[in-house]
Amino acid sequence: MATPRNRTGGSGAQFLDPAVLGRISNLELLARTVVDGFLTGLHRSPYLGFSMDFAEHRPYMPGDDIRRIDWKLFARTDRHYIKLFEADTNANFSVLLDVSRSMSYGSHSLAKLDYARYLAACLTFFSNRQRDRVGLVTFDHEIVDYVPPSMKHLDTVLHTLDKAHAGRAGSLHEPLMQVAELLGRKGILVVISDFYEEPDAVLGAIGPLRARGHDVIVFQVMDPHELEFPFEEASGFEDLETGEQIPVIPTKLRDEYKRMVAEHLATLKKRFTDNRIDYTLLDTSKPLDLALFQYLLARERLSKAR
Amino acid sequence: MSLAFLVPLFLLGLAGVAVPIVVHLTRRQRRNVVHFPSLMFLEKVPYQEQRRRRIQHWFLLSLRALALALLAIAFARPFLDESDPGLGGASGPREVVVLVDQSYSMAIGDHMQEARREARAVFDALGPLDRASLVAFSQGASVLARSTSDRARLRGALDTVRVTSRPTRFGPALKVAQTIIEESSLAFGHVYLLSDFQRNGWTGDEGVRLPPGSTVTPIPLGTDEAIDNVMVTDVSLPRQIVSGRERITPSARVVRRGGSGALDVNVALELDGREIQSRTVTLQPDAALAVAFQPFTVSQPHTRGTVRVPDDALVADDSHHFVVSPGTALPVLIVEGGSSDESVSLYLRGALDISQDGRFGVTQRRANTIRPVDLEGRAAVFLNDVQIDGASAERLRAFVADGGGVLIALGEDGGWPASAADLLPGLIGPVEDRIQGRGGRLGYLDYDHPVFEVFSGPRSGDFTGARFYRARAFQPSDSATVLARFDDGSPALVERPSERGKVMVWTSTLDDFWNDLALQPVYLPFVHRLGEYLGGRAEVRPWFITGQVVDLANPEALLTAGLVSSEATGLAEGLDQVAITPTGSTLQMPANEGPRYLPLDEHGFYTVRQPGTDPDHPFVMAVNVDLAESNLSRLDPEELVAQIMAPATATRDGASLTQAVELQREDQERRQSLWRWLLLVALALFVIETALSNWVSRTSRGAPGAVAG
Repeated sequence: MATPRNRTGGSGAQFLDPAVLGRISNLELLARTVVDGFLTGLHRSPYLGFSMDFAEHRPYMPGDDIRRIDWKLFARTDRHYIKLFEADTNANFSVLLDVSRSMSYGSHSLAKLDYARYLAACLTFFSNRQRDRVGLVTFDHEIVDYVPPSMKHLDTVLHTLDKAHAGRAGSLHEPLMQVAELLGRKGILVVISDFYEEPDAVLGAIGPLRARGHDVIVFQVMDPHELEFPFEEASGFEDLETGEQIPVIPTKLRDEYKRMVAEHLATLKKRFTDNRIDYTLLDTSKPLDLALFQYLLARERLSKAR
Repeated sequence: MSLAFLVPLFLLGLAGVAVPIVVHLTRRQRRNVVHFPSLMFLEKVPYQEQRRRRIQHWFLLSLRALALALLAIAFARPFLDESDPGLGGASGPREVVVLVDQSYSMAIGDHMQEARREARAVFDALGPLDRASLVAFSQGASVLARSTSDRARLRGALDTVRVTSRPTRFGPALKVAQTIIEESSLAFGHVYLLSDFQRNGWTGDEGVRLPPGSTVTPIPLGTDEAIDNVMVTDVSLPRQIVSGRERITPSARVVRRGGSGALDVNVALELDGREIQSRTVTLQPDAALAVAFQPFTVSQPHTRGTVRVPDDALVADDSHHFVVSPGTALPVLIVEGGSSDESVSLYLRGALDISQDGRFGVTQRRANTIRPVDLEGRAAVFLNDVQIDGASAERLRAFVADGGGVLIALGEDGGWPASAADLLPGLIGPVEDRIQGRGGRLGYLDYDHPVFEVFSGPRSGDFTGARFYRARAFQPSDSATVLARFDDGSPALVERPSERGKVMVWTSTLDDFWNDLALQPVYLPFVHRLGEYLGGRAEVRPWFITGQVVDLANPEALLTAGLVSSEATGLAEGLDQVAITPTGSTLQMPANEGPRYLPLDEHGFYTVRQPGTDPDHPFVMAVNVDLAESNLSRLDPEELVAQIMAPATATRDGASLTQAVELQREDQERRQSLWRWLLLVALALFVIETALSNWVSRTSRGAPGAVAG
């Protein structure tokens, strides 16, 4: 596992641990859905048009480009059909990284934000190697940094990831609505957050992205202490984002807390799945490459299934 | 008894009990603040439940709170207030002083029984920490029980209180109460005054001031109704020599106070216990009468007499006692020069002879010598302008040594042999004329001397009218006493003190040759006083007043008491004496060198006996009550209280009382010192708490540390 602040250069290349990269390089990142792009490759185009592979016909609708009318079929059927093609394109790959204060938590050497940055860097790197246009949005309760998707923005993304700092309270709805406005072209959106909001609020923030045609992949990063709540001594628990503090006797609360967290995670998973959003829970105590491997395996399987 | 605090302000420190609670709840939070990403789920647990659950070690918390509470209470200086607010309004133990009047007016009705009941009620109401004293008083005050909480002892002392024959005097009793309260360590004094409150018992200038914080509760006894009281206030016993026999014609003064309407009173005269005469007189309310009796002759010495009226409510003043003895003439020898003018002793002898009761038995001798036989049986010798020889002077020396008295009146021929010059009170000088102007006068008289004492009062005799034209110079010796001086300072009458006898020198004459004193009214009493003084005759007192004291070892006092001179010396020097009081009590008076005082506390007749005296006619002294007590008009008790409490009352509500209360509270707190024990317990609790908390800290598991991003 990479050391969070083991800088070897001025960019974010230190995130690309060779062991992690070596394992992930055997996989290909496939977009789940086709996004439009300029480069052909492994990705299938979300748009039907310039591609060589015929997809289907559909009735002409006013406003369609008359150049796409299949005149041969019109000759046979005396009806106007538009000939649709499926083309491989390069995709816009954007990581939406939550840099709110809660992401700074870490019960061991790796904070959640560090873990999320590794994850984002890895995904961005691979996407860039796949000639996708890579971009980055960091946000808390508003957009902090925005790197538009571009083939040339890998270093920028990595640099932005490197300097990302969790310092303020966060929320999902407002910044993700802004992201939806910024990203006009459909693409792959990887949302990395701890999602400390009610499921309805989370879906209310991410749902519009999905509705705009983005292929949304959600990573929920959680610390093992957030999942297991292993505290013993009565302590004052302080909210990292609001500063609010309440006295807690963990031994009395642990079961209830774990039940509520499990219920929350289950609800999120169900709601994401119902909205065709890939959801993965990542435990920061687990190896990052293993998590990536398992996820990419799943995406590849899903992609082939299509 | 209740818990009180000397410095209650420190009880605010009890708020410090909250400190361990706050520390208990907050200290661990500050030490173990866990930064957590979100309280989203934790906040869904009810807050109250978490608060309740946070306190894990109730025992530790209790120990800390209790220790702090004890600390605060200890600083507040707690003490058990032993005062009993239910008694007398005082808030502490009281020093109770019960003053019981035992004057003879308390014999009226059941005053004394009522006083005992009231005093017993006061003793029964004493608090457990109160102390009480019992003081019986009349003319004086006697402490029967002092500052004790032993009620049995107080009741026992109360049973010994008896009515005396003395009058009421509030002053001594209240001063005793003042002293008891001032010396008491208790802050509050309470005086109960049980009396019939006779007005004569209080003059208002006794100077009694009870200490601040003291209270007086007067308990008047009897009723305010006026009592019809008839009393015998005085008896005069003039003597006359009729046909060579001495007769006494007594008269009594009877007074009636109070009452209404005329009252017939039978006044009886008793001698040696037998009524010999009686008179019935009619007395109006608040009136007085003189009752004259028929003369009687006294044949025996120490005859007891009583003038009596019927008993009324106040019995003690219904009889008046006296003692009379047959009168005896004082034998006086006048010696004048053989060649002197015969008129030289005319005035002197005439003065001594003028006496209805035959006071002086005068013998005159015209010679310059004095024979031993001339001095036999004589009490006084007047050397009137005569120059005696040395042998005669030596005889006079012996005469004086035996108690006789000699007056040397100097004149033209007067002198004294040089061989016996030491017997004189000085040196005789030449004749000095004072013929300029109207002659000399007596400028100084020693009115304290028995000779001139009767002239001390106003209009009691004027010596300044006498003119002195000639006198002998006289140089007094160092031991001499000048009793009279002329207006130029030269001595007129000089005395030489002696152990028993007396030697006096009159530097002028006792006739009208050198002065005109013999023509002045004061000459007769002056000569009488000289003769009585030289002869050692004392003014006999037919009776005494209760409260007086007689020294049975003092011959003069005994003579004054009526003892005949033949027995006085023997009784004074004699053997063991026994005095029998009017109530029959016997007082042993053992012979010793010091005075033998016999207090005359009871009214009636005191009889003094000693071995060898006539058992049929012992020495008797009559004692009558002080008639000041016979005035039964009452004093307003509140008036008395106001006078003795006036300064105290002014400060009772002020700083003095507050200071007294504070001192008393401080004294209680200091004696109890509860704060020491509280501090010790608090310290022990702190130690236990420390040990327990350390043990708990060691055994409790710590939570994993949280790292803030």
